[in-house]
Formats: sequence, structure tokens, C-alpha cells
Amino acid sequence: MLLTLIRRELLDNLMTFRFAAAVFITLLLVVANTVVLLKDYEQRLTAYNTATQESYQRLREEKTYSYYIGKLVAHRPPNPLSIFNLGLDKQVGNKINVYHGFVPTIWDAEKHRSDNPFLNLFTSIDIALVFQGILSLLALIFAYDALAGERERGTLRLVLTHPIRRGYILFAKYISAMLCLLVPLLISLLLSIVLLTTSTTIFLSTNDFLRLGGIVLTSLLYVSLFYLIGMWISAMTRRTSTALMLCMFVWGFLVLVYPNLILTAVEITPQPDTQASAYNQIKQMWEEFDRENKQLLRNDPVLGPLSRDGEGWGFYVEGGEYTFGMSEDKPSILLYFFQTGFYAGKIGAESEPQVPRLQNYYRFYNRETVNTVQRTWLVREPALEAIYIHPANLGRTLLKFSPAGLYDAATEAWAGTNLEDIQDFFNAVQRYRRAVLDYFDDEKIFESRQWFAADHGTADWDALPQFSFQRSGVDVNAKRALPDLFLLLMTNLILFTVIFLIFVRSEV
Amino acid sequence: MIWHITRRELYDNLNSLRFALTTMLLLALMLTNAIGHLREHPKRMQKYNDAVSESMTRMASHTDDSLYKLAQEGPGKLYKKPSSLYFCAAGGDPVLPDTIEGGSPFGYSEHLRGVWKLKYPDANINMKRVGPDVTKLDWAFVIGYVLSLIALLFTFDAISGERERGTLRLMFANSVPRHIVLIGKFLGALISVSIPFTLAVLINLLLISTSNAVHLNTEAWGRLGIIFLIALLYMCLFLALGLLVSARAQRSAVSLVILLLIWITVVVFMPSTLASIASEFSPPMSSEPFWKRRNQIQEELWQKYSRWVWSGKVDKETLTGKSEFFIQDAEAEERLNQERLTEKVAQVQHARAITRISPATLLQHLLESFAGTGFERHLQFVENTHRYARQFREFVADTDRSDPESLHIIGVREGMTKKKILPEAVPKFEDTLSLSKDFNTRATELLLLVLFVMVLLSGSYLAFVRVEV
Repeated sequence: MLLTLIRRELLDNLMTFRFAAAVFITLLLVVANTVVLLKDYEQRLTAYNTATQESYQRLREEKTYSYYIGKLVAHRPPNPLSIFNLGLDKQVGNKINVYHGFVPTIWDAEKHRSDNPFLNLFTSIDIALVFQGILSLLALIFAYDALAGERERGTLRLVLTHPIRRGYILFAKYISAMLCLLVPLLISLLLSIVLLTTSTTIFLSTNDFLRLGGIVLTSLLYVSLFYLIGMWISAMTRRTSTALMLCMFVWGFLVLVYPNLILTAVEITPQPDTQASAYNQIKQMWEEFDRENKQLLRNDPVLGPLSRDGEGWGFYVEGGEYTFGMSEDKPSILLYFFQTGFYAGKIGAESEPQVPRLQNYYRFYNRETVNTVQRTWLVREPALEAIYIHPANLGRTLLKFSPAGLYDAATEAWAGTNLEDIQDFFNAVQRYRRAVLDYFDDEKIFESRQWFAADHGTADWDALPQFSFQRSGVDVNAKRALPDLFLLLMTNLILFTVIFLIFVRSEV
Repeated sequence: MIWHITRRELYDNLNSLRFALTTMLLLALMLTNAIGHLREHPKRMQKYNDAVSESMTRMASHTDDSLYKLAQEGPGKLYKKPSSLYFCAAGGDPVLPDTIEGGSPFGYSEHLRGVWKLKYPDANINMKRVGPDVTKLDWAFVIGYVLSLIALLFTFDAISGERERGTLRLMFANSVPRHIVLIGKFLGALISVSIPFTLAVLINLLLISTSNAVHLNTEAWGRLGIIFLIALLYMCLFLALGLLVSARAQRSAVSLVILLLIWITVVVFMPSTLASIASEFSPPMSSEPFWKRRNQIQEELWQKYSRWVWSGKVDKETLTGKSEFFIQDAEAEERLNQERLTEKVAQVQHARAITRISPATLLQHLLESFAGTGFERHLQFVENTHRYARQFREFVADTDRSDPESLHIIGVREGMTKKKILPEAVPKFEDTLSLSKDFNTRATELLLLVLFVMVLLSGSYLAFVRVEV
């Protein structure tokens, strides 16, 4: 009996014009956007490859260790699954300097060069967004007359004269509609995957297919949620036109209006005071270190008179070619540091006696720099968290009151383009910086002659630890998507129960 | 007779659920929009004013030094004035740069600095933001997305619904010409959507204009009036589309499905997807040849002028050589920068032109222009800075010329007047907008919008005349 019901409903749904039109539009949009996003991904990948090569070569052109800022760079590869949900993959910087003068974070990252940044004016639409808009609409269109329509036509009365449980009728309607909605979802996903495989630059691993499976699962739950919302409205209203109107407004509100409304209505930017105080604290630490450093130089019998104005801007050494200062001062991201140094091609015999002294000085200077960075990091990390991460997370939580927000968050987690996954990369960079510093420590590079001079052997960049980054595994993605998935599932169950209760007790 | 039908439609709509929901939705949106604007605008203005006054202070310190310093360092950073109508359309303003650098003379060596030139920073998305990405809730969003959807919801069953209920047959039985019925229906829907929309707009403007935080001048009100009319026109477009599909479809459910699919394609996807596809067709640019040319020009200039540039002599010939070198070098770089900018702008313009087949994009462009935000506004800003740069250079030349003791060699200290200059005499950068100019540049798009409305209206007329009951 259940099967008969399902078959009837299926035929009812499948043979309609609305179904054909919806499938056609979904396919069209998915294909068009896949082509656009694929092209975009390829461009980003090329930029990534060129940049990686470039920084590899530039690092090897350096003869001394001290001038490695801007040359030792970690690059973030674009995520192939960003085609399905772009998330933060394109937004956040993808090139980050590894240096002992600061702890690398998302906010210190820069972008690979792009030919025309004005093109950012045009927003990108990913496949999750297409599904989010169209499938939800489609689900509502299938659902609005599921009960109200039968009631209006009087067929509901007819069906109920048969000895069938009311729950069965609901269930049959639900199953058949979900089967129908699966069709555009799967076909369009399949098409976009086919398009992806035609590209030589994208390689999808087994894990990626598992992630895609997760996206399909999430999409199903999302679509089912909208179908149930539509059915709920349908069960509550007497007339289909009222049901339709309500459905449309509910859709417009949940998908279109709410996400934009809530983030404008609720002010989530933090107080500027925290930023200013943290920045001042950090600056003070550096200034204190600077004073200490100058004190040491001034009192040093050998180096003191040699340093230019006692400012520590390198030293007068026979054969010294240039001095440099590395500094950043960005109050908005609480980044402040300065480093000085110099480069000598070949140290003259006159200055040779000073070299051990210099090496000793740099041991102090570099060690203290690393310590200062560590101290400032204790202030900077929580402050950055308060200024950027907390508001962002609050915004995301607010968005999750709409199924569209939940869906977006869950698919982002599956695709690995959400904030946590991006942070994974920067955590890996931080670990890499630690590894480089450990290597410098172990090999005594901070106090080596190659730190500033290129005469007794030059920097050996190949011995440096290599940076590598693996995207988190499927299990981690699943774990991150699970809370949202669970929420979606729970809402589904609750809605179904509510509809069941209403339907069972309703009079025909 | 028209009024009779219009009135009937109006009464029908006013009592309906959709009218109540529409009123609530539009009011909520417009209130949020006003509150958001009142909260953000003062901050934006504060930031702008601070930046401008800092720039002024820097320039004043240059004028205190000498005319030479002014000629060398230039006017400093020039800032784009934030529009007071930002709430109408945020446009691409978060992506577009809000400043153009009029300074940064090239340092050839520690003691040798050239003269200033205009430099255009690249557009960049705010990389610091890690929050969720949402559209700004501005009028462009409310009108472009929400109002168009509402217009469709008011008309999808206008004809097919009557056919379903059988009242269409009844109406045709009376001796009412069909076009009268159509116009009556159109006007009825227009008025019933306009009522909540106008109400929401009025409350929004009331909130914004009574607050001290935002000051709207007469021109701003004129612009708001135009924006309101454009919104009505855009609404008419979707009403006509709704009537057209409603006349063709047998059932109102089918009509709605078709309309929604058209809506989602035209309004949501076309603007961005088409633009991305269109920008792919333009030839890709790379900065390599640009830098090559820059180096080549510099090389040539070095060869021509190096014997004066490194010379420490202060005779007229050396100074003239130095001055010519500095000025030509700065000019060459400025010209290259400008060419590159033009290239980039052309690519964007091309993509924008193609997306104009979507009325939603037309509306977005029009609203941006009349609100004084977005891409066209940015181009206007660039043009303003060009004009100002000319003015500034003329000022330096004129001031120098007025001093008979000066050698009139711009760009080198020894060749320029030593007289004091008053900071007030230096021309100030004014980022102006002109309504008539905006109107002229947008005329095509306005006409295109009108054309769309006409085509759809006549389409719905034809469809309705041929309707079989």
C-alpha cells in the first residue's frame, strides 16, 4: 500500500512542468558556475605555483641568513573543493612570510598577485549557493499543495476512506518528494564532477569524493527541511493559494532576507579599546627590548663606538655592503616589530677581530627577539581572537538560525573552506616557523658568521626544514560539519513530528 | 472603467495575506537599513575627515618648507568622499580603493628624489575579515531582490488565477475591452505594491533625515527622488513580467514556478555569473610587459640625462637637466600607471556592459550612480584627481612664475622660488559629483530599463488579447 502511494506521488511530481523547468534551470546554473569557478580555480592554482617557484628561487639568491624575510614564504594552495563552497578560500590571504620577528597569522598573510583586482567587484557563486537558492525553492513548490491541494480537490477525503494510516500518507508523500528532489541534485553534481575531471589541473582524491558525499548528505537534509516547512504550512492552511503565499514569504525571509538582515541589525564589531590597549602593550614590549639592546650596544667597548649613532643599524665593518631595517607597524592587526641587520660580502682583515663579538651580539639580539615575539604573542593572540574571531563566529552563529546559514556552514566544513580549516593552515605555518627557529637554534645559525657575512660559506637553504601542509582528513571535516548536520537533522525530525500531529488530528 | 477595475484589484490586494506580509517585510528591511546607516555613516565620515586633515597637515608642513618641497612631495593622499546616500547602494565600495596617492616621489639615491606622481592602489578585498560573507542590506538589495520578488507574487495569479476561478470568463462577458482590464490589473498591482514600499521608504528617510548624524542636502533629495522613480520603474518591469507569464500559463502554480525560476536566474545569478564569464573573454593582462616598458623608459631617460643628474653643479644647465629628468620620469610612470588602470577599467566595463541584459544589474548600476557609490563613482573620483593634479601643477608653476628672482626650474630646490607660500593659497582637492553628469552617463541604462518595461508590457498585452478563456 505504501508503495502504491509512493508511486502515485512520484508520478504526480515527476510528470509536472515545474519539475522539468526546475531541473533545467538547476543544471544550467550549476554548469555555468562550475565553468566560471573552475577557471577561477585554475588561475589561483597558477598564481600559487608561480609564487611558490619564485620564492624558492629568491630564497636561494640570498647568501646570508639574516635577510630571509619575504623570501622564506609559505603558500596556501587553493582548495579544489572551493568550487562547491568557496567559503574563505579566496577571501583570505594565501602567502605568508615565515620570520622570527612575528608569529604568522591569517591577518599577516598577503595575496598572490592577480591581474585585475577590480574583478573582485563581481561576486562568485558557488554550487552550494545554487543549491541553497534553487533546491529550497523547489522543495517548497513541491510541498505547498501536498496536503492543502488534496484537501481542496477533495482527494484527501477519498484517500482517507481507505484503511490506511495517516502517517503512511505523510510518509509516502515525503519519500516521493525527496526522491524527486534528489534528481536535480545528483544530476547537477554529477555534471559538475564530469566538468571537473575534464580539467587537467584538478585531481579529486577518494577523500574528496567522501567529502562530496558529505555535501550531498547535507544538501538532502537541507532540502528535506524546506520540504517539511512547506508541508507544515500546507497542513496548517485550508487553501493552496494561502499556503503558496506563505511558503514564498518564508523562503524569501529565510534564504534571502534573514542572513543579510541579521548581520546589519546586530552590531558585532568589537570595542576599539581592546585593540588600542593591546597594541600599546605590544609596542611597549618592543620598545623595552629596543632600550635594552641600545644599552648593551652603548656599553659595549668593542661594538659600541662602531655602531652608527648607537642605533644598532648594523655596524661599521670593513666590507659591509648594506644595512637594513625590517619593520612592520600595523595597529589594526596588532603587528609591530623591527629588526636590523647588515650584509657584508667579505669582511676585511681590519674588522676580523670584531667578528666573534658581532656573532655574540647577534646571539643575544636574535634570542631576545624571539623571546619578545613570544611575549607579545601572549597579548596578541587573545586580542586578535577578540577582535576578529569572536565577531566572525558570533555572526556565523546568528546566521545559523536560518537553515540556509546552517547549510552554508556545514558544506563549508565539508569542503574544508571554513575558518577552522583556514586556521589549520596558519597553525601549520606557525609550527613550521617553530621548526625553522629550532633548526636555527640547533645549528647555531643565529650566532653564525653566515648570519651577516658571505665570506666563510654561505647560507645553506636546502638544509632548512621544508614546509608542507596537508589538508585535514575527512574525519576532521566530518567532525566539524557534524554539529550543523545534527541541528539540521533535529529540526527535520521535530518538524516531521509536528506535521504528523497536526495531520492526524486535522479534520478533512 | 479602468478605475473600477483598479479599485477592485486594490481592495482585493489590501485585504490579502501577501499585503500584510509585504508591509511587514519591507518595513523591517528599511528600518534595519536606516539604523545600520545611522550607526555606520558617522564612523565613515570621521575616518574620512581624519584622513583628509592628516593629509592637509602634511601638505601644510611642505608649504612651510618651500615651494620646492611642495612641488616634490605633491598633494599627498587624496581621499574619496563617502556618499551620504551610502544606504541606497553600497556598490562595490568595500572592494574599491578609497584613496589615490598623489605623492611618493621616487628616491634615486639617498639625496636625490624625483617629483610626485599619481599612483592608483589596486582594488582589494578586505583580507582581514574572516566573518561570513553577506550582501550589504541597502536599498539596492531591498529593491533589486525583495521588491522584485514581491512584484511577482502580486501578479503571478492576476490572470491565471481568475481563469482558474472562472471569473475571467465572467469579466469578458461584460463589454469591457481587454486592454482596459489589463491596465486596470497592472495599475491595481502597482498601487498595492507601491503603498507598502512608499511607506517603508518614507519611514526610512524620516529616520535618516531627522538624525543629526547624516546631513542630506537638496541635491541628495533630488537623487533620492530619482532613485525612487527608478525603483517604481523596476517594479513595473516585474509586474509586467508577472502579467505576461500569468496570461500565458494555464494554472497559477505553473505561472509562479516559471516566474520564480526566471527571477532567480535574472536577479540572483545573472549579474555575477555573466560578469565572470564576460571578464574571461577579455584578454588577460599581466604586469610583466608593463614593468618592462617602465624600465626601458627609465633606461632611456638615464642615458639622456645622467650627466646632469649626478652632477653637483648648480648652474642653469645642470638644474634644467635635472628638472627635465625628474618631470619626464614622473610623467612617464604616471602615464604608464594610467594606461594600466585604463586597461583594467576597460575589462570591468566590458563585463558590466554585458550584464546589462539583466534588469537587476541595470537597477544596481543606476542606483549606484545616483547614490554616488560604486564603480562609476570611482571613475569619477579618478577623473577628479586628474583634474586636481593638473590644477596643483599649474599652481606650482604659476607661483614660481610670479617670483622674478626664481630661475623657474621646477623640481630642483635651487631653481625655484624661496618665497614663503601660504597654505591657504594651495588649491584643495574637492571630490565633487554632478547630478546632471550622472544623469547623462546613465541615460542609456535608464532607457534600457524603460525599453524592458515597454517590451514586457506590450508582450503581456499581446498575450492577454489572445487569451482564450
